[in-house]
Amino acid sequence: MLLIWPMIFALILGLIIGSQIKLKNGDTHFTLGSFIVILIAGIIVAWQSGNYPFYTDLPVSTAFLSALIGIFVGKLIFARSK
Amino acid sequence: MSQGSIILKLISLPISIILICLGIMTILGGHITPGGGFQGGAMIAGGIILSVLVYGIGNSPFELSHTYIEVLESVGALGFVIFGLIGLFVGGFYLYNVGTDILNVVPQTIQSVLHYPDVTNAGIIPYLNIFVGLKVFAGLSAIAIAFAGFKKYVEEGE
Repeated sequence: MLLIWPMIFALILGLIIGSQIKLKNGDTHFTLGSFIVILIAGIIVAWQSGNYPFYTDLPVSTAFLSALIGIFVGKLIFARSK
Repeated sequence: MSQGSIILKLISLPISIILICLGIMTILGGHITPGGGFQGGAMIAGGIILSVLVYGIGNSPFELSHTYIEVLESVGALGFVIFGLIGLFVGGFYLYNVGTDILNVVPQTIQSVLHYPDVTNAGIIPYLNIFVGLKVFAGLSAIAIAFAGFKKYVEEGE
């Protein structure tokens, strides 16, 4: 059974933290492709974590994935200054 | 005050994001697994601190403002105190675990959403963990950012 409420909390926490990401023009330049690579790496980490911490839902860590999606959505919606 | 090489700067933001996600995962599983609010909050702050150390206080991708940290810290402390007082008034003891059915007034649909279906019936512990995690994240990040700011101030004065 998929637990919705913890995923919502993970999404909210990710949104709160992702809203503060502001990429600046320095030595490094993170593009859309960089974030896709981070998303793929995050999916691998979530898969390797198993169904932690709820043990009864999907075989990936849904809290981890929700937090990752929350961070990206927060970055896209709230942190558009740069 | 940027201190890291190009390689460090390339890898630090992805590692910070993964660390923050792991911290949030630890917070949400704190009632049934090792970990919890403090540990998860410290992991999130670890991600922020890594960025501040590598990119420098002025160029860090995680730009936490004074107001942001203040609001998160206050919400965390206030939520913890409110849950404690609910336990005091409903159960007779401060932080008494009253569960998700407070005073028998919460509808069944909301109870089933709030209730984590595990054998321990954690009650309010997951929600306490979330507030503690917010507070620890804000507090530890503020300490690291303040130290980095002091260092920058001293370096600029010399």
